Amino acid sequence: MVAVLSKSAFKLPRVEKEKFVLLLRLGLDYNREQGVFSIKSYNNIEKLMDTIGSVLGTEVVFMQNCTRCGRDFPCSECKYNDLCATKNLPFSCVCSQCLRGRKQFEAYLERF
Amino acid sequence: MAVTEEALMWVEKYRPKTLDEVVDLRDIVDSLKAFLKNPKTMPHLMLAGIPGTGKTTIALCIARELYGQNWRNFTLELNASDERGIDTVRERIKDFSRYSRAGFGNIPFALVILDESDMMTGPAQTALRRIMETSSRTSRFILICNQSSKIIEPIQSRCAIFRFSRLDRQAMKEHLQNIAKKENVKLLPEAAERIVDFSEGDLRHAMNALQTASAYKEGVVDEKTVSMVIGEASPMQVQKMIRKALYGDFMEARKTMYDIMGSFGFSGSEIIRQVQRELFKMSDLTPEQKAELSNIIGEYDYRLTQGANSDIQLSALLAQFAKFGKSIEESYDAQ
Amino acid sequence: MTRNDLLWVEKYRPKKIEDIVGNEEAKASFVEWLKSKRRTKKAILLYGPPGVGKTALVNAAAKEFGFTVIEMNASDTRSEKAINEVAKPATAYIALDSFSVGSKGNLLFLDEVDGIAGNEDRGGVGAIVKIVEQSRVPVIMAANDPDLDKLRPLKKVSMLVRFQQVRIPRIIVLLQKICLLERVKAEFEALERIAQNSRGDVRSAINDLQSLSEEDHVLTLQDTVMLSSRNKDVTMDETLRAFFSAKSIEEVSTLLRYSSVDYDDFLLSVSDNLPKRYTDPDELATAYNFVSQADVFRGRIGTENWHLLKYFFNSLAEAAAVAPESYKPFQFISPPIRIITLFWTKGKRTTLNNICAKIGAQCHVSIEIAKHSFIPYVKSILQKQKGGPIASWLKLTPEEVDFLIKMGRF
Repeated sequence: MVAVLSKSAFKLPRVEKEKFVLLLRLGLDYNREQGVFSIKSYNNIEKLMDTIGSVLGTEVVFMQNCTRCGRDFPCSECKYNDLCATKNLPFSCVCSQCLRGRKQFEAYLERF
Repeated sequence: MAVTEEALMWVEKYRPKTLDEVVDLRDIVDSLKAFLKNPKTMPHLMLAGIPGTGKTTIALCIARELYGQNWRNFTLELNASDERGIDTVRERIKDFSRYSRAGFGNIPFALVILDESDMMTGPAQTALRRIMETSSRTSRFILICNQSSKIIEPIQSRCAIFRFSRLDRQAMKEHLQNIAKKENVKLLPEAAERIVDFSEGDLRHAMNALQTASAYKEGVVDEKTVSMVIGEASPMQVQKMIRKALYGDFMEARKTMYDIMGSFGFSGSEIIRQVQRELFKMSDLTPEQKAELSNIIGEYDYRLTQGANSDIQLSALLAQFAKFGKSIEESYDAQ
Repeated sequence: MTRNDLLWVEKYRPKKIEDIVGNEEAKASFVEWLKSKRRTKKAILLYGPPGVGKTALVNAAAKEFGFTVIEMNASDTRSEKAINEVAKPATAYIALDSFSVGSKGNLLFLDEVDGIAGNEDRGGVGAIVKIVEQSRVPVIMAANDPDLDKLRPLKKVSMLVRFQQVRIPRIIVLLQKICLLERVKAEFEALERIAQNSRGDVRSAINDLQSLSEEDHVLTLQDTVMLSSRNKDVTMDETLRAFFSAKSIEEVSTLLRYSSVDYDDFLLSVSDNLPKRYTDPDELATAYNFVSQADVFRGRIGTENWHLLKYFFNSLAEAAAVAPESYKPFQFISPPIRIITLFWTKGKRTTLNNICAKIGAQCHVSIEIAKHSFIPYVKSILQKQKGGPIASWLKLTPEEVDFLIKMGRF
């Protein structure tokens, strides 16, 4: 099992105070109203992901954010997944539709 | 012409020079002699049969019977597998018949011996047929082949066909003993048996094995020496490779294949033809099984001509053999 | 080769931080560190493979935030003396006019610190550590391999930021953009292969693109065949592993299209390893049938029919996907089995054929029959009686006799 999370909002089960503090110190932000976490700092991102993994009891990967269309998508959607040397980081990539689609490409080019 | 040197390979040294010296092929010799009584009416000939059964010997005897001592001047020996394409063959025949028109004595034609003619492709055979037609006034052809079925009908129908069957064991043993006696070598009976087993009717292999074994030990050829000599010869290696594959030991089979390529320098197609030949000698397979395997060989023989790496094609063939071997085993188990 | 004098890697060097493709988190960490007024660590070590934007980031960030870069890289000598001469003055003070828009002062950039050599740069690492401790300006270091023992003292005083290979889709997008600006027409598959071949190295991908591009020519997948493969030795095993563990034909054909291994070497390696992958005879036969087909396509491709490459890939892909459920990891066969037949160079085959032709002339047989019905015996006889009468009767030269005697021994 692999948990696929979105970096801007994800929920975690209740954790003891020390763990909670650790998570925040490693770079998470917590929104009390919505009860969701998000990633604020990437300084300790690898350690942070390990810690989140230990809270969830499973391997954690984050959704990729498409630099062209802004859509979030999991690495498993990508055909280069098996060739990719950087499975988890960064959280930005290009989704397959934007990579192949002519329309998306043209729209993207207009921005130059 | 240079003084004839004494032949030193025994296959040549003891090759019969006249039809009378050919002892084992009485029927064939008798019919041929009938033709030779009136050479002007001699048709084209086709000599068909497995290797080492005397086809070339008979062809050379005919040349001598026709032209005597100077037979080489009137005989063109060609080997289809050595010539580069039918055009070369055509050119050589044309040149030859033009050049030697001057005098055949009382024989009105020159002789063309075309060995391994079943190695020619269909189109090449069609061209050959035309050549035979256009040069019919000046040339007679002796076509030598392993399988007459691989020669196109129109050529077959223009030839008198002679079929050479496998030499029988007794005749072969006598042959080998005669030669051993002339060479002052004592050929032990078990050793003779072993050579005959190994050569499966191919006198060329048998005599070469005998000569090689006698080079190892002065004056006597025993079974041990023979085993050693033939163990290293390619037919045994090829059979070993086929057996390993059929019994499911693909890795060993492939290793043997590379050994064969390495030690003998065979090309992929040379190995595949030997596989074909050795397969038919193997007595532990039924004719149906041989036919089926032969089809597989045919497919990979073709791919070999198209592909880039002959060792890959041969490996693929061996894998097919291993699969086939497994299916035989399963059918036995089911019974 | 190139259409103008300017190298594209120079022309398209990132000017702004956001122009640097990939490694967003690393970039963010670095910027956060650089902007901070009170740095917990005075130095930062950016590490990761070449060509992913470490140097570019330092230069772009310095420009954006108004630092003056004092740089020392591997081409400078970095002995203790040299470092003290250049770096010490540069790090000793903060710019007085730090409130003005113009400059925030210096930053010291030591590129390729893993290149500090033992003898020549004697005391170099120690000197850097001292500089870091005393520095009043940011000290930035970059390295490819941070695991070197000699860098340990530097790591202690630095914040570590890891850079990774840039992802294939990101590189493709960048190449597409350059193609557009350079008016190069390129097949998607060609850019895809350049990107994959670069192994996450943007610089090499751009260089490859420039070297393959020609005016008025559509860059195709076939053109990329000429690309020299990068890190060749690693990729063969990696590619084989990915190939044999693949779960679908699509996965394999993608792998093959983007792998940088030499096709011919790969085909042979697959053939070598196939029986280790498939132990069941039926599976092996099926798989070998596909490899055989791939070899046929390779034969038809020859040196020019590269449009057939996809069929070659497809056949190989099918060979990998015969029985996905039976896959177990295994040790690859290497070196290639084929090596034992390499003895048979073209020249040696010609020699053997010439010998066979001589035997054929004396014994009335074809070259092929001479090869299997005479050569093994003649060879044995010659080994027993070197240069004997048989050799002269067969009209063999001494060199040919020698060749036969040694033949097949490796």
